[in-house]
Order: sequence, then C-alpha cells, then structure tokens
Amino acid sequence: MHIPDGFLDPLTALITYMFSIIYAAYAFYRVRRSKKSEEIILASVLAAGIFAAQMLNWPLPGGTSLHFVGGALAGILLGPWLGFISVFLVLLVQCLVFHDGGITALGANVFNMAIIDVLAGYIFYRLSPEKYKLLGAFLGGWLGITIAGIACGIELGFSGQFPYSLQSTVLVMGTWHALLGLIEGAITSAVVSYIVKKAPHLLIR
Amino acid sequence: MKFLISKRAFFLIIVLVLVSPVFGVILADMVGYHEPLDLAAEALGLEDKNEEINWTPFIDYTVPGLPDPIGYVLAGFMGVVMVLALGMGMAKILSREK
Repeated sequence: MHIPDGFLDPLTALITYMFSIIYAAYAFYRVRRSKKSEEIILASVLAAGIFAAQMLNWPLPGGTSLHFVGGALAGILLGPWLGFISVFLVLLVQCLVFHDGGITALGANVFNMAIIDVLAGYIFYRLSPEKYKLLGAFLGGWLGITIAGIACGIELGFSGQFPYSLQSTVLVMGTWHALLGLIEGAITSAVVSYIVKKAPHLLIR
Repeated sequence: MKFLISKRAFFLIIVLVLVSPVFGVILADMVGYHEPLDLAAEALGLEDKNEEINWTPFIDYTVPGLPDPIGYVLAGFMGVVMVLALGMGMAKILSREK
C-alpha cells in the first residue's frame, strides 16, 4: 500500500499533497480546539502499536504478503481527526526514517491510509446499528483497505508514468486489496470486540 | 483511556517488535516477499526509485552493520520511540492554551 518514489508523476503527487495538507490542517485545528492532551497521547500509543503491527508482514503463498494497516481501527477508536493524526504519525516516521513509502508519494500515502482508510472505518462503524457494530468494524476494515487500494489504483492510473489505463490499475489494486482487506476486516473487528468488552470508554465519540 | 496507556499496551508493542523479524525478514525471505503494490507495479511496468533517491541509512528497516533480523528489531524500537516522541510533542503543542 505504501507507494514508493517513482510511481507518481509530479502533478498527481502535487494534487494528493494538497488534499492531504488541507485535511491535515483541519484535523490539527479540530484536535487543537478540543485541547485534550490525554486523547492525543492515546493516539500516539495507538500509532506506536500500529507502527509495530505493520512490521509483521505475513507472507502468503504466491510470493506476496499482507500486514495490518490499522487506519480503520484508528478511525473507529479515535474518530476521523485523532485517527488521522495517529496514522499520519506512523506514515511520517516510516517515510522519513525508513524510506517506507516515497517522499514524493507521502501525500498520496497519507490520503489513502490516513484519510480514506480512517474515514471508512469511522463511517461504517458509526452507521452500523448497535446490534451489528462488529459487522460495522469488519466492513470498515475490509472496505477501508479496498477503497484505499482503489484510490491508489486511481493515483497510479492518473499519474501517466506507464502506458496502462486507469481501468487496469484500479482493477489490479482494487482486486488485491479487496482480498487482503478481508483479513484487515477480521483483525479490526476482533480488536474492536476486545476493546468494547474490556474498555468501552476507549471509543472516542 | 488508562487501559491503552498502560504497561499492557507497551508490553504488547514490545512483543510485536521482538517477533517482527520472524515475519518481516525470515519468512519474507523464504517466500520471496513482495507487497501487493510491488506485484501490481511489476505487472504494470513501474520502476521503484526508492533506492536511487534515498536519504536514510535505515532504508527498509535495516541498520548498517547489523544482520537484517537484529537491525529490523532495532529499527522497530527506533520507530516506536520516534512515533511516541512526535505524538507527545504534538500533545504538548496542540493542547497548549492560546
């Protein structure tokens, strides 16, 4: 999911940077307005957990692998603004310190994982009826990754770095992530289920 | 709130980092690990330029001079500390009175 340098053309990189900067500015404004330092510290601890969890690449037959992304989980637990900050911290350290994800693609990576995935988790969970919250968490995790994968395909398709159509990139990225997203959905749902049982007050409204 | 900001949370993070090379290095090498995006990019003919325009000695969670599994663990702890430090700094700045 982390787009490296060389995959996006300057225009696509610029547009995704702009979207992400505007969203980030609003997210920071909302968090600053609430002035709840304890919640920001909670977001940092969750970010550290997501960073560690993302280091566990589970190899799959066929030479690919998956790792937990955690955007939807952050959205469910922390909401769209703090959830954004949590995943943004992870992506920033991954990019600047470990070059996991390109600096030219940081805007796109933030857009896909810290905005789309977080929002999907938040929206699907919030919209699901009380009886079906765990299904909502599963859908958030699964569809968050799928939609983020499709967004990634659109960015690659638009960037014009290679002679393939938008349809091909969206199909390839969407299909892969729709399959792998099932596991993200299952993990998200399991973690939310655990937290709801052990510490329901952690779900920030 | 205290549940997550607790010894249990940090214990879980430490365990995740300690076992990470099993999945991120050893098994990944065994199966010829590629992210789905790498596979898609290969099929589409894209070229990864991360190594060409690199600025960090810790690229791909390695530490110069150390074997990959040990470097991976060290990189994991470095990353966790940096994420927490950035978050704590942000908490201080964002929660400050205007």
